[in-house]
Order: sequence, then structure tokens, then C-alpha cells
Amino acid sequence: MNVLASLPVAIPFAAVGLTLLAWRRLALQRAISIAATAGSLGVAVALLIAVDTDGVAAVAVGGWEAPIGIALVADRLSALMLVAAGAALLGVLVFAVAQRDTDEALRAFHPVYQTLAAGVALAFLTGDLFTLFVAFEIMLTASYVLITHRARAGDVRATMTYVVVGLIASALFLVGVGFVYAATGTVNMADLSLRLADVDPAVRTALGWLFFMVFGIKAAIFPLFFWLPDSYPTAPTPVTAIFAGLLTKVGVYAIIRTQTLLFPVEGASTFMLLIAGLTMVVGVLGAIAQGDIKRILSFHIVSQIGYMIMGLGFFTVAGIAAAVLFVVHQIVVKTVMFLVGGLVETASGTGRLRDVDGLLHRFPVIAVLFLPAALSLAGLPPFSGFVGKLALVEAGFDAGRWVVVGVSLFASLLTLFSMTKIWAGAFWGAPSANLVRRPPSTMLAATGALVVLSVAIGIAGQPLLELATRAASDLLDPAAYVAATLGGGA
Amino acid sequence: MTSWPFLVVAAHFVGAAVLLAMPRRSRRAAVVVALAPMAAAVVMAALAAGAVIDGDPVTADISWLPALGVSLDVRFDALALIFTFAIAAIGMAIITYAAGYFAPEADLRRFLALLVGFAGAMMGIAITDNLFGLFVFWELTTVTSYLLVGFQDEKGSARAAALHAILTTSLGGLAMLGGFVLLFQAAGTATLSEIVASPPSGTTTTVALVLIFLGAFTKSAQAPFHFWLPGAMAAPTPASAYLHSATMVKAGVLLLLRLAPGFAATGVWTPVVLTVGLATMMIGAWRALRQTDLKLILAYGTVSQLGFMTALVGLGSPVMLHAALAVLVAHALFKSTLFLVVGAIDHQAGTRDIRVLSGLGRRLPWLALIAVLAAASMAGVAPLLGFATKEAAVAALLDEHAWIALAVISVASALTATYALRFVFGAFGTKPPSGEVDHVGPEVAAPGPTLWGPPALLGAAGLVFGIVPGAVDAVVSAAAPGGKLVLWPGWNLALGVSIAIIAAGVAIYAAPAALAHLQHRVAARLAALHVPSAEGSYRWLIDMLNRVADRVTGITQNGSLPVYIGVILITTLTVPAAAWIGAGGALPQLPPLGSAAEIALGVFVAVVAIAVLRAKRRLAAVILLGGVGYSIAGVFVLFGAPDLALTLLLVETVTVAVFAFVLGRLPRRFEEQPWRLGRAMRAGVALVVGGFVTAAALVTNGIRTAPPVADVYVELAPDAGGRNVVNVILTDFRALDTLGEITVIAAAAVGIGALVMRTRTQRRTDDVPDTAREAA
Repeated sequence: MNVLASLPVAIPFAAVGLTLLAWRRLALQRAISIAATAGSLGVAVALLIAVDTDGVAAVAVGGWEAPIGIALVADRLSALMLVAAGAALLGVLVFAVAQRDTDEALRAFHPVYQTLAAGVALAFLTGDLFTLFVAFEIMLTASYVLITHRARAGDVRATMTYVVVGLIASALFLVGVGFVYAATGTVNMADLSLRLADVDPAVRTALGWLFFMVFGIKAAIFPLFFWLPDSYPTAPTPVTAIFAGLLTKVGVYAIIRTQTLLFPVEGASTFMLLIAGLTMVVGVLGAIAQGDIKRILSFHIVSQIGYMIMGLGFFTVAGIAAAVLFVVHQIVVKTVMFLVGGLVETASGTGRLRDVDGLLHRFPVIAVLFLPAALSLAGLPPFSGFVGKLALVEAGFDAGRWVVVGVSLFASLLTLFSMTKIWAGAFWGAPSANLVRRPPSTMLAATGALVVLSVAIGIAGQPLLELATRAASDLLDPAAYVAATLGGGA
Repeated sequence: MTSWPFLVVAAHFVGAAVLLAMPRRSRRAAVVVALAPMAAAVVMAALAAGAVIDGDPVTADISWLPALGVSLDVRFDALALIFTFAIAAIGMAIITYAAGYFAPEADLRRFLALLVGFAGAMMGIAITDNLFGLFVFWELTTVTSYLLVGFQDEKGSARAAALHAILTTSLGGLAMLGGFVLLFQAAGTATLSEIVASPPSGTTTTVALVLIFLGAFTKSAQAPFHFWLPGAMAAPTPASAYLHSATMVKAGVLLLLRLAPGFAATGVWTPVVLTVGLATMMIGAWRALRQTDLKLILAYGTVSQLGFMTALVGLGSPVMLHAALAVLVAHALFKSTLFLVVGAIDHQAGTRDIRVLSGLGRRLPWLALIAVLAAASMAGVAPLLGFATKEAAVAALLDEHAWIALAVISVASALTATYALRFVFGAFGTKPPSGEVDHVGPEVAAPGPTLWGPPALLGAAGLVFGIVPGAVDAVVSAAAPGGKLVLWPGWNLALGVSIAIIAAGVAIYAAPAALAHLQHRVAARLAALHVPSAEGSYRWLIDMLNRVADRVTGITQNGSLPVYIGVILITTLTVPAAAWIGAGGALPQLPPLGSAAEIALGVFVAVVAIAVLRAKRRLAAVILLGGVGYSIAGVFVLFGAPDLALTLLLVETVTVAVFAFVLGRLPRRFEEQPWRLGRAMRAGVALVVGGFVTAAALVTNGIRTAPPVADVYVELAPDAGGRNVVNVILTDFRALDTLGEITVIAAAAVGIGALVMRTRTQRRTDDVPDTAREAA
């Protein structure tokens, strides 16, 4: 069974090689890429089921037991993230292939996309802090390639911001790993969770916040998020969509993993909740100030990160479970939103609300795809965002944190406000003359599949929440994780 | 038949989906599809009525998110029965009417889909016995009503009105959600009937109730949130008739009615609910008198009547709740009738302005009769249902000595009679010719049967139920026992009050000049006191929100990379530093000074690093940077890792060489750019970063107790088949990291290759003249 835990990493790595071998044969590259992504998703589902029934699965890579070698460790959180990410990766890939121009313009699209997938999977599975750094590097380098290759002259600045901030975050991450190794003599996370407990509490707290902030740059929390809304909208739709769906969430995953496993605290962290509240509000205010669909959505990425940090900040099983559920919901829904934004651009040639009108009348199918996703984003029932929001609110009231819960409800009102801005701006009104091109059916189908998945997350909220609760309990009591990593392995 | 009510609700959503999928042209089929779920609801309600009125509600458990207390459990009691019946019956009338109302080119199918979906959500509110289930349907009505109000979306006014409605009701909705969660946690259950049966108390409950009030008040257009309702008149008239008579706006009152038996005794209940209700009733009636648009008269009238019901619920005793529910039923009938009449007038005459309409009564006497019946019911004239219900309310107020409430309600009711007259004469009366407007009236064509049939039926129902109030009373009393509706109360004080009310109303109508004068003076007084109007406050808030958003975003997204990096570095490092100091961390111990060679190397690195910063030419800076790298290699040599030193030397050499190539394409000197972030600021950031890293390195190096894993590597390296431990780490112990880094390099190479190729092809295409490209 444990071999399952290595496949989500091995498959995309293999796909990188194969697609490189298939250089200049786009059809073959596409076939390999889609097969690998679908395969990874299938494996992830199997892994989730296996982990949920049999407990944590660990693989000692190269046969060297942790902490000597690197361990890949799949627990419920990792497996759940892999499934959500796999679905988003597959949806976006099909969309990109259907849209044609993305992978036709960048020959290396498929190898790079698979590199990104490998990095993401490795980040979710690694039980080693330094390998987590490597995973971030893999993922980020791939993202640098994806975001710069189509940049027009005017966008170079924004993409440079993205790259430079990414490099700085990596450097800080590396410095942090150095400190941790200096203090404990190990980089294996399970080992660290044991050794850090004996480290001077002041140092441990400081290291905890250092990692929170470093991952916070990638997760785009306040006040480290500026780079995101500047750079994301400049990339082609599939690229922005997968960035939006996955990259920040990998940052959130890293925060959740390290804060619970390495730097656990007693009780809620007021400072973390403060950051969460500011992230929600400043993010959504940014969205309100925009007039372009992708820009609006980019700010919502930031705003929604605040909800996840809030759930973690309560530091209770219910809070973390809600945060985990929220991450899963966001991976899907944020990806969908950007794909819909891409459909609007395909139909009209622009995403500026001023220049698009009456999509509802000309291409109602896009409106049908937009509405559930938008309402879900705003946290309206019966969609997945409502389940996540309600879980967070109940957890927050349980923890007695009224203020931040109130802020989160207010932010969701503003989210709804900005969704109505897109709806009233692009979908309502007399159809504008630029609504000329009906997006290809495959693009619509790929978007539609993710919309259905998003709705399903809401309907299947109960089993998902139960799973997230089990995952959260594991996180707050990492004994099984530690035992499986240090004692197990093939 | 247990889950029938739920299935009927679900059928509405299925119907809506089917309608959306239907071809736009099949209007007749669309009407049939839209009517089907509502007919099913009527049949279901009729079949269940007997048992439900006997106090035996239909219940079903429909689980969704038990972990969060959320279910869609059904409890189809008498209150649900009344609402379901009203929603479905009036809905069927509206659908029939809409088929005649909309022009052939309008998207009737989409309208019906929204209307049916809305009706389903509304019924869901009525039949659900779970706080959160109720909230689910509540928000669904918010969304569907948003789409209905904005249905004529090519009009900016419709879009703005829709936005106002959804923002106001969502604001309340979110507050209400907070209230529900608090109530759920205080009561330990989210099942409404259980909460009401054994209500919790305490501060949490009070806060919960106030938050829930916000939801109910915004939905039911209570002051100061009432303003969205008149704005929502931008909806097509059939939608207005539906939303503002039987459905949407009644949701808040319905929620209050559901909670009242458990919470009316709570300290916060009567003061808040009664005050808001009375104020709303007055404001609505007062403003209805100022309107010249028939639809707006009705809209403000609706606000006023909702205030009436809310005030009665606020008093909270069984007899008051009975009266409130009776008023609600009567209002649903007469208000839907009046809206449909207005729609017919608008459809035929092309205007709803009472200054323009003239002589319509003679042209369309039957329509006028329908309107008179409904308006009389609104004014509380016997023998209509509106009379019986108002009579019940007045009698209850007298019984309980609620004098202030009685006084306010009486005045507002008199004004109601006045605007009822204003409506009837405004719509159908004949006005003296005026030079300012061209009257419309005598030449208007008669409306078709779909336009007068539905209001005639609804208006007639008001008459029939007025004469036989027992039919309504049976079910109202089953839902809220305590009062009685009668056709003729006999000569008593309540009747006297009612007569006085109507007389006063007629008198006010007869003195339009005095009324106008008073309206003017009150408006002037309010303006002098700077009392903000609900409309102005809303505009101001939205304006403010947009301005704050612009301002905040202008600050955060200033686009300067140095600023971004500065903020990121400072935040990322000062937060842990502060945490460290806050946790009482000890200052780092300075290590013993190293050997002379180490000190010399350290000084050299520092000097070269400073020289990099001061370099004016790019090439010089690059070479100096390489110098820093070389000196770091020196550190490796000193600490016994010559192979690492060699690797680093190689890397630095290649880097400098590559840089030197690239520099050929750049200006020699750095451009003197204006410093967005001052020099001192930059130096400060650099010092903080350097200081933090140094301090942290010293601290963490000094506290390790456990042996590092590196010791094990050295020990195991021979077993792994290598003598150079670094090599073994790279290729065996941590081979996965190496694979990862190779992939990074591969990806970077691919990316750079793509960029270079692209630049080349671009340059080539750039060389081609535009004309040639056009030809190709």
C-alpha cells in the first residue's frame, strides 16, 4: 500500500521526462500529459481511501529510513489535498488543450505543467523540511516559466515582481531551514516535532513565526500579498487558473502542516486571527476597486486565504477541520472562477467589465457556469462555500472569537458585492458587439465538470467534513504521523 | 406522504431547471411546466390540510450536515400550510398573468424559471424546521429575487435596484446566520420547533435574537432598511406582485411568527420589534401619500402593512400573533390584486403615473371594480377580509390596553385609507384637463382575459373570505390560536375605532392641500435636523465603500518592487524577532573570535560586499559580486571542505561569465533612478535583515543538544558505497532532493530557451513590414 504514497510524485516526474522526449509532437505530449494527470488523480483517490482506512502511509525514499533519508508521508490531509489538486490540474489541463493557444504558443507547456504538478505533489507528500523547500523550488520554477513566457511588454514588470518575490521567499525559506537544522540537527519533520519540543520555547516560537511568514508570502497573507494581484492576471487563463487554484493553497498547506506538526500552540492565536481578518478585508476591498474580471478574482484569492488562516488560528479540531474543508473548496472554486473568466475573455476578447455586456443573453451557458461558482465563493447556500463558511463560523463561536467571525461575515458580504459587480457588469445589459466567439465545447465541458465537482463538495459536505475533522484530529495529535515516518516505511 | 412537502419544494427547482433548458419559443409549454409544481403544491396542501389543522403536522427528517446542525427537516404545520397555499395559489395566478403580460420578444421562459425557483425557495422557508435549512432557502430567495428585480437588465435602474435589494437583504442574512449559530449553540439544537418549545435564555440568546431581527427586518423591509423595497419596483410587475404581496417580504414576518411563541417574553423582543414595526408602519403610510407612481404607492403601502404585522408580532401575545397572521393573509390577497391591476393598466396605457391617467374608470369599469374591492380591503372596509382582520387587530389592542400601539396603528391606518382612495381615484378617476400633461385614458384598449382574470379571482377571494371569514380563521387559528375573525363584530368599541379610522382617512383625502402642506413641512423639518434618509445613507455607504476600497488598494498595490520587497523582508523577519523577544528569549552569546585567517576573511567579505553597493558600473558590480562568492569559498577551505569550495568557485566563475555576456546588451553604468524608497530606508531594511539572520544563526547554533543527523551520514557513508560524504548525501541519502533540483534546472532551461526562441521569432516578425504581414 505504501507504494501508493510515492506514485503521486513519481507519475508527474515520469510525465516530465516523457513529454520532453515527445518534443515537437504536440498531440503525443497532450495525450501523455492528460493520461498522467488523470492517473495521478486516480492514484490520489486510492491513496485517500487507503490512508483513511489504514492510517498514515510512509515511504522511505531510496530505502534510507527517516531521519537519514527522505520520507514521503501521506496522511489524510496530504491525500485530501492531492485529490483536490489533481481534480483542478486535470480540469485546467483539458481546458488548456481545448483552448489550444496556450500549449501551441509554449512548446514546453506540458513538461513544465507536469513539473508544476510534481512540485505540488511533492510538497503535499514530503515529510522532510528541506525536501519541502525543493518541492517549492520545483513548483515555483515551473510557475516562473509559465507566467513569463507569454508576457507582453507591459506585463514584464509584473511578472518580474512575481519572480523576484518568489526568489526572496525561497531564500528566506532556506535560511529558516538552516536555523532549524542548526537548532535540532535534523530536517525530518517527524523528527523535528520531537526535537523542537525540547528547544528553548522563545526560539521555537520565533522559528514558528518565521515559517508562518515565509509560507505566508506564498500563501499571500496580509501584508505579504502585493505581488499576487499584480502578476496573476497577466498570465494566460489556464496558467492563472492553476496558480489561483493551487499555488497559494500549497502555501496554506505548508502553514497548516508546520504550525500543527512543528510549532503547536495552546489555544487560539490572536495575532494569527488579526492577520486573517486583515487579509480578508484588505483582499476583498482590493477586489471592489477593480474593473477587470481576472483582477477582481485575483484579489479574492487573497481575501479567501484569510478564512483558512482564521480556521487555523482557532487551533481547535473544529477550526482546523473547517480550514481544511475551506482549502479543498477553494482549490476547486477558485480554479473554476478563473476558467469562467477565461470563457468570458474567449467570448468577448476582453475581461474588462466596461467592455463586456449581456453575456447572459448571448451565451447563457457561461452565465450558468458562473453563478454557482460565484455564489459559492461568496459563501451562499447550498454551495460548498457555505459549508466551509458555516463550519468556520461555528468553530469561531465555539472558540469565543466573536470579532474575527464578525469580520469574516462582513467580508463575505463584500465578496457578494463584488460578485454582483461581475454579474451586473458582464452578464447583464444589452449584449455588446464584441460577443462573437462561442467558446469551444470542450472548454465549457472542462469548466462544467469542475462546477459540478464544486457543487458536489457542498452536497457531500457531511462526509467531507467528517474526513476533514479526522484529518484535523490527526494534525493536533501527530503521534501516528511521527510513528509512521520514523518507524515505518518499506 | 411524509416527505411530500419536501418533494414539492424540490419539484419547483426541477421545474426551474427544465424551464431554463427549454427552447425560448415554446411559451405555452413553459407556462405549463411552471404551473405544474405549484399545482402539485396546492394539491399537497389541500390533502394535508385536514390533519394539519387538527394539530398534526407532517414531518420528515432530511439530513444534510449533521456535524454543523444543518438539515432540511420538514415540519409542515398550519403556518407552513398557509404560506404554501398562498405561495402556490397566488403563484399560479401570477404565472398565468405573466403569459399575457410579457411581450412576445421577452424571455418569458427565463422569467418563469426564476419565479418558480423563487417560489420553491419561499416554500422551503415555510416548511423547514431547522434554523440553517431555513437560512439555505432564505438566501435562495435573496438570489432569485435579485435576478427577478434585475430581470429587465438592460435598464441601469433595474440593475441598481437589484443590487440594493441583494445587499440589504444579504447584510441582514449574514447577521441572521451569526444569530442562528449563537442560538444553535445556546439551545444545543438547530431544530426550530424544539428551540421554541424550550427556549434558551441569557446574553447569548439576546445577542442572537437581535442578529436574527436584523435578518427579519431587512427581508421584510422594516425601517431603516425599508428603502430597497420601493426600489425593487424596477422588477417586471408580475414579479413585484409576487415578491411584495405573498412571498419575499413576508419571510421576515414568518420568521418572527415562528420564534414569537418561544421568545416574545424575552426582554429584548417587544421593545425592539414593536418600535421598529410601528415606525415602519408610519413611514410607509406617510410616504405612500407622496407618490404619483401607482406601483410606488403600493410599494410604500406594503412597507406600511409589513410594519403593521411586525408591530403586532412585537406585542407577542397569542391574540396578537393571530391578528398578525390574519392581516398577513388579507394583505397577500389585496396587494397581489392591486399590483396585477397596476400591471394591466401599465400594459394597456403605457404609464402608471396618476397625473397622466384619466378617465380609465369609465373605459375599464370591470378592472376598476376589481381595484375598488381590493383597495377597500386594504382600507379595512366591510365586508372584505381586510375589515375582519383589522378589526381583530384593533380589538386585541383594546383588550390589552396597548394604547400607544393602538394610537400609532390607528393614525397609520387612517393614512392607509387615504392612500387607498388616492390609488383608486388616481388610477381610474377623471381629472380636470391640465396644460402640463397629456392625459391618457379614454383611448386605452381593454386588457385580455389573462390580464384581468387573475386579479379578478384574487380580488374576489378577498370578498368571499371577508363574508365567510371562518374559512380563513380555521387555519389561522390552527397556526396561531388566540383570536377570532368575524364578519360582524356587533356594535362595540373596536368597530367604533375602525369607523373613525376610515372617516379620518376620507377626511384627509378630502383635504389634499392641507396634507401637501404638512408633508412639505415635515420634510423641511427633517432636512433641518439633518436626519439622514434611508436612501441617502445607502448611497453614502456604497460611495464610501468604493472610496475606501480605492484608497486601501492604492496604498497596498503601489507597484514598486523595492517597496514590496522591503515590506516583505521587514514583516517576515520582525514578527519572529518580536515573538522571540516577547517570549523572553536570551540574547545571543557572541562566539569566541575565530582564527586570524577567519577574521581576515570576514573583513574581506564585508569590504567587498560594501564595494558592490558602491559600484557605479555594472561590470564592476558583477565582478565584485563574484569576489564575495570567492571569499565564501575561502570559508569552505578554512573549514575543511575543499570540494565544496571548488564547486562554489566554478559556479561563481560561470555566473560572472554569463553576467558579463548579458551586460554587453545593457548600458555600462547603472541608471540613476529616483529612489522611491529612500536610501536610509534601504539601509535600514538591510541592517534589520542582516542583524536578524546573524542573531538567529548565533542563537540556533548555540542551543542544539541532540546529535545532528550529519554524524549519522558520516558514519553510514562507507556502507552506502562512497567515501565523500557530500557525494553520498547528494546521490543516495537525499537523492530525491537532487532529482528535484535537476528538474528545477531543466524547467528553467526550457523556460529560458522558450523565451529566447520567442524573442528571436518576434524580432523576425518585427522585421517584416506590417503590410506584408497583412497580406500573409
